[in-house]
Amino acid sequence: MIKNNKWASLYLVVVFILLYTPIAYLIFYSFNEAGTMNQFSGFTLEHYAALAEDTRLMIIALDTIRVALLSALLATTIGTLGAIGIYYSRRRETQNLLLGFNNILLVSPDVIIGASFLLLFTVVGFRLGFYSVLLSHIAFSIPIVVLMVLPRLEEMNENMITAAKDLGATNWQVLKEIILPNITPGILAGYFMAFTYSIDDFAVTFFVTGNGFATLSVEIYSRARQGVSLEINALSTVLFLVAFSLVAGYYFIQKQQRTRKLAHMDPTNHEKAVTP
Amino acid sequence: MLTEEIIVSFDQVEKKYDKESVLKTITFELERGKFYTLLGPSGCGKSTILNLLAGFTSPTEGSIYLNGEDTKNTPPNKRKVNTVFQDYALFPHMNVFDNVAFGLKMKKLSKEDIKKKVSAVLKLVRLNGYDEREITGMSGGQKQRVAIARALVNEPDVLLLDEPLSALDLKLRTDMQYELRELQQRLGITFLFVTHDQEEALAMSDEIMVMNEGEIVQTGTPIDIYDEPINRYVADFIGESNIVKGRMIEDYVVSFAGKSFQCVDGGMNPDEKVDVVIRPEDLVLTEAEKGALQIRVETQLFRGVHYEIVGMDNDGNQWMVHSTKKTEPGRRVGLQFEPQDIHIMRINETEESFDERIENYSAPASFSVEEGDRLDG
Amino acid sequence: MVKQRKLLSVPYYLWILLFVIFPVLLLLFQSFRGLDGSFTLVNIQTYFTSRVYLTMTLQSFIYAFLITVLTLTISYPAAYFLTRTKNKQLWLLVLILPTWMNILLKTYAFIGILSQTGMVNQLLDFMGLGAQPLLFTRISFLIVATYIEIPFMLLPVFNAIDDINDSMVYASRDLGASEWKTFSTVILPLSLSGVRSGVQAVFIPSLSLFMLTRLIAGNRVITLGTAIEQHFLVTQNWGMGSTMGIVLIIIMFAVMYLTRKRKRGVAVR
Repeated sequence: MIKNNKWASLYLVVVFILLYTPIAYLIFYSFNEAGTMNQFSGFTLEHYAALAEDTRLMIIALDTIRVALLSALLATTIGTLGAIGIYYSRRRETQNLLLGFNNILLVSPDVIIGASFLLLFTVVGFRLGFYSVLLSHIAFSIPIVVLMVLPRLEEMNENMITAAKDLGATNWQVLKEIILPNITPGILAGYFMAFTYSIDDFAVTFFVTGNGFATLSVEIYSRARQGVSLEINALSTVLFLVAFSLVAGYYFIQKQQRTRKLAHMDPTNHEKAVTP
Repeated sequence: MLTEEIIVSFDQVEKKYDKESVLKTITFELERGKFYTLLGPSGCGKSTILNLLAGFTSPTEGSIYLNGEDTKNTPPNKRKVNTVFQDYALFPHMNVFDNVAFGLKMKKLSKEDIKKKVSAVLKLVRLNGYDEREITGMSGGQKQRVAIARALVNEPDVLLLDEPLSALDLKLRTDMQYELRELQQRLGITFLFVTHDQEEALAMSDEIMVMNEGEIVQTGTPIDIYDEPINRYVADFIGESNIVKGRMIEDYVVSFAGKSFQCVDGGMNPDEKVDVVIRPEDLVLTEAEKGALQIRVETQLFRGVHYEIVGMDNDGNQWMVHSTKKTEPGRRVGLQFEPQDIHIMRINETEESFDERIENYSAPASFSVEEGDRLDG
Repeated sequence: MVKQRKLLSVPYYLWILLFVIFPVLLLLFQSFRGLDGSFTLVNIQTYFTSRVYLTMTLQSFIYAFLITVLTLTISYPAAYFLTRTKNKQLWLLVLILPTWMNILLKTYAFIGILSQTGMVNQLLDFMGLGAQPLLFTRISFLIVATYIEIPFMLLPVFNAIDDINDSMVYASRDLGASEWKTFSTVILPLSLSGVRSGVQAVFIPSLSLFMLTRLIAGNRVITLGTAIEQHFLVTQNWGMGSTMGIVLIIIMFAVMYLTRKRKRGVAVR
């Protein structure tokens, strides 16, 4: 393992470059004076200025965030309660059945989800627009929340609940004081995932959005089909920075929690930590 | 043991992780065919010694010799050393046969030879007929046997066992202790066994190395270590003991708890401060007047085989007594003991000078202590 | 007590009913409807007799297969090397980070990179190979799709390899296996569960990447996804679109069955 270290690092660096080239490319040309993505003729910030003045795009960006925040919130609520429901269903078969339904949406291709939701809204007579997009985003985010919360529930010590009841807690108090605090990391992870799912989604939204409403993905798609516009590059830079800082923040918080946990750990585990 | 052949030797071995020293200049030798135990609390570096010998990690300083050869450039797969891991480390995607045959396949033995050897070793660990069993679904004890078989089938020069019994329950653990000991004696392979359990160490080993904070504190047979602990740490770690502060008056005379007693140790400076150890089972409960020491009983616990009685003497020392006789808390009782029951430990004595002193001042003919025999005021 | 809990989960059950079961039934139902809305088997008949539909499905399948193989070839070594690095979680995060970038923006970037005067062609030109038309070809579809799917393969494979207890590797080395033997007899078999979920996560979406075919492959590649989108949103032939949707669902279940969790070798810890 140590022998191959050099080649291994080289390989990882190559993969890293491959993965980041498109992003770097986008960002680099966002400062291009010539309006194309291949000849760099000089530095300019005009595309950023154009971006800032593009009110249509700004409204769409705000709408996208609105949908993401709302759908993630509702999906997290429903998904968490669902996970608790699955966890407490007595029979193994019921659990597996519920999990099966849960996973259908998770593995289904976007196109299928989009098409079938479009069918659903049409049959029911629901008008396509903000609410159909919101409902769809809630719907396809719920399963990931369940998947993030359920393991936390399963890790939870069942005796804690018995203990709480023994100490006189009502069901509601058990939920509020014992279960929820214990699964909070899972709920937060679920919210984070639901939020990114919503922000990133293109295909499902594309099917159920109708004419009056658009999210960033849909807007980028229609603009990209018309050809290169460096305003999109400028937007990429902004979105990348946002994503980067979000993920960096998430990592930092997690790491802090981890080190704090380590510090509190049993000192007799020392040997485990030291020996390889 | 016909010849005292050295099979493993550690020469000034030091190991650091990120500047933190896990092992501090360790030197020892292992002879062929003996059962050795590394005993110490977790974090003392005993597993590191195994990892070094197996080749999973290399020493920061010093050399390790296997069969007289420096192992510096020998990768783990080329060492005639095999390990029984703490979590068994059985391959879950292989059945029992494939697990045990793994090492032989790597050596490219013929199919027939492999079959023969595997079934022989499975018989040895009393798992004949388990060849086709999957690993998942086996009990801890069975996994343990597979792990031992998998290592033994390669006929290693040294078998390393990294706390292999710690995951088993008490009854199984005791059974396995007998079995391992018997196995080792039958096969004549050198075993290096790592544990934090002193009972395990005492029951199985030819020789015990007691470790603390990256150092070997004392090496010796179980009886040596139990009877002549080098310092407070070893005495405390091996079995229960009463350790009180005392003063050496002259050779074979020690004073503690406000009285002087005859003992069997010597070689210290006059008036030197020492630690005095008396094992709880060496203390005999008597009526107060008849005892060499008097204590007031504070607590008494029934332990099954004996009562565990704790009391305080006039000097404020606590004494624990293991007695088959019963007493009552609050009562004054006497304690009797023989000179050879008193173990004297010098403070900060090295193992070298300890061994030398023990050699020169080996126990003289046993004195008997008169009840309440006072030599000084 | 039990009742209260059930009550809490009602929205979830409603969700299953409304957004999981009902849409699938609708899709199934719609596939039996003709353009005029009547009940008919004509969609299914057309699909299975039309050469166009069948070759399209086969092509889509082959593309998905190629994309899966390419991502696996690139991701497996990367995942393996990642588990051996010192700050593996950080490096993993760095390699996964591009996933958080909007998929359309990444696709859009390739319009520039692969264009006639873009970076790749400049590079080819520089090496004396001459510029090639890259954009709007099948190759470009494969390149971009592989690029987009790599993290989805990398993550499960990394987790599977990372889950293998170090003592497994030690045990194998201890028993005389060389590094390569240890990899092929211990690490590889034990990481197959991760490869399976990676294949699942890459193959199924690859059948349906419709915006890629539109933006990058210029309608030269038509996947099942492209065809479904076309029928639903352009030609408004929902019946045929649904039929293909059902086909896609069946393929999806087949893939899931083939890559399901095997009992043996799953519980590593």
